[in-house]
Amino acid sequence: MLSRLAARSSSVAVRLAHTSSSASQAAASATPATTNEERNEVDFPRTKRPIHPAPVRMGFIPETWFELLYSKTGVTGPYVLGTGLITYLVSKEIYVIEHEFYSGVIMAMMAAYGIKKFGPTVAATLDDQLAKEKEEMLSGRNNTIKALTEGIAASELSAEQAKGQSLLFQAKRDNIGLQLEAAYRQRLQSVYAEVKKRLDYQLEKSNVEKRFEQRHMVDWIVQNVRQSITPAQEAASLKQCITDLKALAARA
Amino acid sequence: MVWGEYPAEFNPKVHGPYDPARFYGKKDTPFTQVRLRELGSWLARRNKTPRAATQAVSRAWWRWQQKYLLPEKMGVAPFIQIAVGSMAFFYLINYTKYKAHRTQKYHW
Repeated sequence: MLSRLAARSSSVAVRLAHTSSSASQAAASATPATTNEERNEVDFPRTKRPIHPAPVRMGFIPETWFELLYSKTGVTGPYVLGTGLITYLVSKEIYVIEHEFYSGVIMAMMAAYGIKKFGPTVAATLDDQLAKEKEEMLSGRNNTIKALTEGIAASELSAEQAKGQSLLFQAKRDNIGLQLEAAYRQRLQSVYAEVKKRLDYQLEKSNVEKRFEQRHMVDWIVQNVRQSITPAQEAASLKQCITDLKALAARA
Repeated sequence: MVWGEYPAEFNPKVHGPYDPARFYGKKDTPFTQVRLRELGSWLARRNKTPRAATQAVSRAWWRWQQKYLLPEKMGVAPFIQIAVGSMAFFYLINYTKYKAHRTQKYHW
């Protein structure tokens, strides 16, 4: 007996291990439900929690039982069946009316009164609580959805801004190019000015030297010539001049 | 098949998430649409092992729950149903005692 049990339990364990692996595989394959072509959504739709319960008549009898008899017996059929059944059971004393029956009737009346009297208020209170609980439970999810939507919008905005950033970078690059160009031209200008200044200086210097040399030369020559002129020569030249003037005067 | 497993017919690839109220085997004519002369063959086709019976009761229990007890705005109907059902049940199991009242002229 025990050995049989052990054998069974071991096979059970093996099977369990097998099924758990197959179940995990199944779960893994079932998760992408949209891509699964085997999934039969028509005959086996996903079970959803209904909002309202199935309709009942007289507080507890399912509506479907009445619908079942409707095509055969019409509207009154089920009521006739029920009343007839009760009448039969009571009249043949199959259903024995004993003292519990009366207490049952009274309890049913009290229950009906209580349900009619307090039912709506209790239902309203519970619905309120339910709405509150639902809101609480869904708030995390809704907040997450809201936050994620905002995040998507923000990242889209920043992507757009990054696109603008490239324009801005281009503009900055152009600006810097212009600045570089301006600096380059300014430097060219300053080089030109400096070179011109130096050349002008050289020119001026050489001019000055030349002028100085010339003047010095002239002064020197004049000085030497003056020194070379003797008083006799001066007198002779003066006499010659007078004679020249006389000759001119005689001709005039 | 051992304890704690899904029914052998259940294939998550085809059926999706498991619903304990649903029968995943081969579909037959619903009982309410069976004709009287087909009733014998219909009954012969039923799986009458204790396991199948247990599964059927379990499915019925889940179906009842999903219909009356689990909806968001459930009413008082399931409690009345349970009360009426237990009244009938206890009446039946005590029926031998109640039957004795028939023969008595004076009830205490």
